[in-house]
Amino acid sequence: MTEALFAGMDQLFTLSTMATMLLGVVAGVIASAIPGFTITMAIVLTLPLTFSMDPLQGIATMLAVYVGGYSGGLISAALLGIPGTPSSVATTFDAFPMARSGQPGRALALGIWSSFFGALVSVIVLIIAAPPLAMIAVKLGAWEYFSLIIFAMTVVASLVGKSMLKGLMTGLLGLFIATVGADPMMGVARFTFDIDLLANGFPFLVVLIGIFAVSQLLQEVEDAEQTKHGKQLIPANVTFKPLDALRETLTYPINLLRSSLVGVFIGAVPGAGGSIANLLAYDQAKRASKTPEKFGTGTPEGVIASESGNSATSGGGLIPMIALGIPGSAVDAVLMASLMVHGIGIGPRLILDHGDLVYGMFMAMLLAAFMVLVVCLFSMRFFLRVTDVPRSVIVPVVLVCCVVGAFALNNRVTDIYLLLGVGIFGYILSKLDYPLAPLVLGVILGPIAETNLRRALMTDENWTLFFTRPISLTLLILAVVSVAFAIRQRLRQRPSEKTA
Amino acid sequence: MSSQAPSQQTRSSDRVADPDTRRANALAHLVLNGALVVLFSMLFVHAGALPSSMWEPLGAGSFPRLVLAVLIVTNLGIMVQEWRHYRSNTAAAPGLVRRWLWRHRLAFGVLALFALYIVGVPALGFRLASLLFLVLAQLALGVRRPRSLAIAAIIAVTFSFGIDWLFRDVFIISLPRGPFG
Repeated sequence: MTEALFAGMDQLFTLSTMATMLLGVVAGVIASAIPGFTITMAIVLTLPLTFSMDPLQGIATMLAVYVGGYSGGLISAALLGIPGTPSSVATTFDAFPMARSGQPGRALALGIWSSFFGALVSVIVLIIAAPPLAMIAVKLGAWEYFSLIIFAMTVVASLVGKSMLKGLMTGLLGLFIATVGADPMMGVARFTFDIDLLANGFPFLVVLIGIFAVSQLLQEVEDAEQTKHGKQLIPANVTFKPLDALRETLTYPINLLRSSLVGVFIGAVPGAGGSIANLLAYDQAKRASKTPEKFGTGTPEGVIASESGNSATSGGGLIPMIALGIPGSAVDAVLMASLMVHGIGIGPRLILDHGDLVYGMFMAMLLAAFMVLVVCLFSMRFFLRVTDVPRSVIVPVVLVCCVVGAFALNNRVTDIYLLLGVGIFGYILSKLDYPLAPLVLGVILGPIAETNLRRALMTDENWTLFFTRPISLTLLILAVVSVAFAIRQRLRQRPSEKTA
Repeated sequence: MSSQAPSQQTRSSDRVADPDTRRANALAHLVLNGALVVLFSMLFVHAGALPSSMWEPLGAGSFPRLVLAVLIVTNLGIMVQEWRHYRSNTAAAPGLVRRWLWRHRLAFGVLALFALYIVGVPALGFRLASLLFLVLAQLALGVRRPRSLAIAAIIAVTFSFGIDWLFRDVFIISLPRGPFG
């Protein structure tokens, strides 16, 4: 192991590899800061550029984009309230209110440090526990996956908004929207009514941009007077004190560690990923907090939980890929493809046959986490300039970026029509105080839930297996506990609301 | 809601604090959820006609029907909640809708421009449609002074022609070209 580790480090710490990694980090941060431009798209665009590199340099560059991407989503989530990627949805819950209350620098700095520690924990776990964790992750069958999605949906519905019923409604609406288009098992067209616009269903990215970006931007210009007088998004003297934020982040060590471990485990579950990890980490932090009522109002605990949770999935995602040759997400599949392009076989023997490469990848993750930290700390002052830009400029420019993001996803004009429709619907829902995060999560998780439900019943028609398989049962119990906890919270808050 | 966060929470709580709008809000919920119940019921029936499979117990329509059934129940639950709010609040003063529309005029103006832009992208091409949208939206949002107008023009060119160049020549993704190539 030590020999392989040093061999990997020897290949990694060369000027050219570190230079391409640095470029990758910058590209990942910028790409995921743009709403609609996902980490997957950034990785896919990087892939052809790595063909001429040697295997470790190529994969290290892509890992740099990957790690940078998880941190970049923070920027638009905190400053604009628009999650740059699905994995930063929960970041908007507290980072955006914090920025809005005149502390955008604090929100970003807390997010950067949390991302760094999340990535660090995930790499440490990756090095120590990749094979045993992978074995747990692959033991999850269709029953467990379905129960995991149920758990995630109840968490989301109970986390957001004053009314759980409204959270549940938008979550279910998301699940339904995901059923439009081709059926995932049989390919039958559902709810398309021979309309070209609906033929391909609703891509989740279009829903994400439409729901969050369009409705959020329209709300920015509601106050006509403020907008016309060139008011900025965040009217404050922006200060950026990274060392203060580091101290503040480290005052929540349990939150940081727990959220990171949630991220690592969820990342190791194939198909789950950052979008679930940041919500579950946020939920766990809220439950464990002494002041859960402060969540959603700009509390540092919320920012730390969400950002460390989503960044930790980057290391977690590599666990099934390295130990078993199973890609945990689309990004991992592209990483696998890049190794295969170089003639490297993926599977359980990868660590035995190419130990130097695997340990080089571990070290590349670690190096990328440090690079992201440095790049973000130095560039955040530049990103914070966004807060100086008047709404009259930022709103039209971000709307154009949304259209580009929606179109570039599949090169389909119909997707931008869907963007408009979804945006208008999202604006109506937000005006009526319906939480939008469950809707987006429903669209992302819907196909996973349906496929696994049907797969489970195809394997065995006995539906009681959902309740008799231990992990599935545990997840369903957690779902019930999550709902009960939310109801209890609400009942507790009611008397204080009445007295207020 | 917490996800769209406190800015929206503040706005919504401002709205809720106004007794005039409480009843109107409740009515809006009733109309929205009522319409959704009708729509989802029709889709529930439609999903029943989707083909089943001989290989699995659940067909193409089973999962959507399950979701739609729970959705209908949830919508009805919200309607019951909102009906109570509607009954317990007094009728709004006349002119509320007109005042609300006037207050949101800028948002609706931008939305109308955005809708025209979306239609214009395939018709005029990305570059021209974006240029026009960026100029008009910035003007609508209050850009008036000569210096601001100059900056607005630079931004419009950068984010229309510049983005088109970036995607075409760097990312090799061709954005809609339109009749002007």
